[in-house]
Amino acid sequence: MNSSAQSLLHPQVSRSSLSDFLQGLAREPLIQPELAGVLKAAVDMLRAESDVASPFLTVLLRTQGKRIETFKDALLCLSAQTFGDFEVLVLAHDVEPEGLAEIGHVVANQVESFRTRIRIIPVEGGSRAVPLNVGLEESAGRYISVFDDDDLLFANWVESFHEASERSPGRLLRSVVATQQVHPEKWADGADGFRTSTWPTAEYAKKFDQFDHLVVNHSPFMGWAFPRELFHVLGVRFDETLDVCEDWDVIVRGSLLMGVDDVPYLTAIYRRWVGGVSSYNQHSSAEWRSSEARVIDKVNSLPMLLPAGTMMQVRTWLEFGKPEDMINQLRDIHHSKGWQALQIARARMAPARKIVGRVARLMGRR
Amino acid sequence: MTEPLPSLQIQSVVYNNAFSDIAAAVEATANSARYAQQEGVIGEWVLLLGDCGAVPFATEQEIAGLADVASASGGSLAYTHFGENLGSAGGHNALAAQGASALLIILNPDAHMAYDTISRLTVALLPDVGLVESRQVPVEHPKDYERGTGLTSWGSTACAMTPRSVFDKLGGFDAATFFLYCDDVDYSWRARLAGYSVRYEPSARLFHDKRLTLTGDWPVSEAELYYSAEAALLLAHKYSRPDIVAKVVHSLERSTDLHHKRALAEFMRRRSAGELPSPIDPDHRVAQFEAGNYAVHRF
Repeated sequence: MNSSAQSLLHPQVSRSSLSDFLQGLAREPLIQPELAGVLKAAVDMLRAESDVASPFLTVLLRTQGKRIETFKDALLCLSAQTFGDFEVLVLAHDVEPEGLAEIGHVVANQVESFRTRIRIIPVEGGSRAVPLNVGLEESAGRYISVFDDDDLLFANWVESFHEASERSPGRLLRSVVATQQVHPEKWADGADGFRTSTWPTAEYAKKFDQFDHLVVNHSPFMGWAFPRELFHVLGVRFDETLDVCEDWDVIVRGSLLMGVDDVPYLTAIYRRWVGGVSSYNQHSSAEWRSSEARVIDKVNSLPMLLPAGTMMQVRTWLEFGKPEDMINQLRDIHHSKGWQALQIARARMAPARKIVGRVARLMGRR
Repeated sequence: MTEPLPSLQIQSVVYNNAFSDIAAAVEATANSARYAQQEGVIGEWVLLLGDCGAVPFATEQEIAGLADVASASGGSLAYTHFGENLGSAGGHNALAAQGASALLIILNPDAHMAYDTISRLTVALLPDVGLVESRQVPVEHPKDYERGTGLTSWGSTACAMTPRSVFDKLGGFDAATFFLYCDDVDYSWRARLAGYSVRYEPSARLFHDKRLTLTGDWPVSEAELYYSAEAALLLAHKYSRPDIVAKVVHSLERSTDLHHKRALAEFMRRRSAGELPSPIDPDHRVAQFEAGNYAVHRF
């Protein structure tokens, strides 16, 4: 192995998928030294931003100034975080002067130790992606998260990202998010309030699955922390042509480039509005279909960098089918009248159950 | 001539809390009191910390630092080390006796108020209200409340405001019966028996650091297992529901949980020793026992 390739294997290097891929190329014994140098420079660039930037996290807090009461909840959740090394960029998107004044009032009255970490940035025009891109330009954090003004965070949201970042520098960090229904409701003082109507439900997968995310987004935005390098080295930006799905777009592209580390905590609550305006009903089904199609086209038009282990995963699927399909088939059989009536069938199915168990264990699904 | 603004005493009972947690909570509380004062809804204010831990949770210097935070926000802070674990109810009764403010806020020591929590609670404290409770985030309490008025069965003292006149009339919390859990349910129900209402004020928000498991479930602590079981028996007994007592006893007898067994044994001991309170609310005017809860729940 030449010296350039050896230096690429230093334990401090970023563990993003792209870095791993470049390092893999550099391990080729007969690689041209010039190319190895280029690869090393690329890997160095991928970790250089994290070395210098601070604070740990930039929170892009998107608001349209229409729900001041949930905005207050959102700031309270941030102010009560157990790990305080983060900044908050309040991206006031197309907010009327009155709303902007209200946002300013709420921010101005936060406790001093928190208020000094908040900046309000008015943004005019464009899609939901525009304020996020403005926020990216202003961000100083080693990681970047997006938090909309009507959702909730648990106190360990930032802390659990920080803990995971030390374990897996350079990768996207994904925590678990619950959903909860709320209804718009006038409060006694006339404020545009709301009423919570369900217990938080942990409906999304506990662990990230790259293939599932190629089909549809299974991970609400605020459950993610994106490494700064994704935006400031690789140049990824939120797609401003998308009406919706701007989150799914960056999640898929980012996860393919940098890989994902699971954060084993439930850290946030995504509020689902029943009645009132949300991205679900603010945009037509045609806009949703069109945005989804564009994301799919973009990802599909380029080669794909898949996580280590994909080879075995795909081979197993091709040989046995997806574990869920097999488990569901067996469950159907188990609950069928025939199964219950014919004891002998159980003996015959035993080998199949063993295979499914083996496959499921291989895939880490049990 | 305008009426003087009501004075406020905010009180928290500390028990083995980390200083950093209390310091952050004090900063948030002082900020909320400052804002309420600035808005002209309260006058003088004081924050009382009562420590039930075996050793003080902070050094004298650290306490002085907290007092500086309160002072910089226009109020004051006083600290008492009780030297014994009085429990939540006993601790709050002892703290209430230290002052003479018109209003009291009972507050969890590590909970974070929003800047307008105190002003929203004060505005919601109409003349008929005995207790007004804040809305907790991120895990909101599921109990139901009436649209518009916020009327509810009981109010959680994670953060709740009560007029001192009501507190004194009720004799404070029933510390002889309730050590840790449900002293607030009992206080609320006695307030309602005395003709006051109990209200939930959703605009008065409070961050209470509660976490859920990865499956979205409430992780139950050992203390919660014991004291919630004990409180279920005591509340049912005190509010004249022997039928509920019998059901809970039956359920705890069948439970394999050691904390449940201990709670049942303690209740039986107190009953044998004649240490249970005299039953009240014989006509069931206020007490609600709904599927193991003390209110109808929204979810």
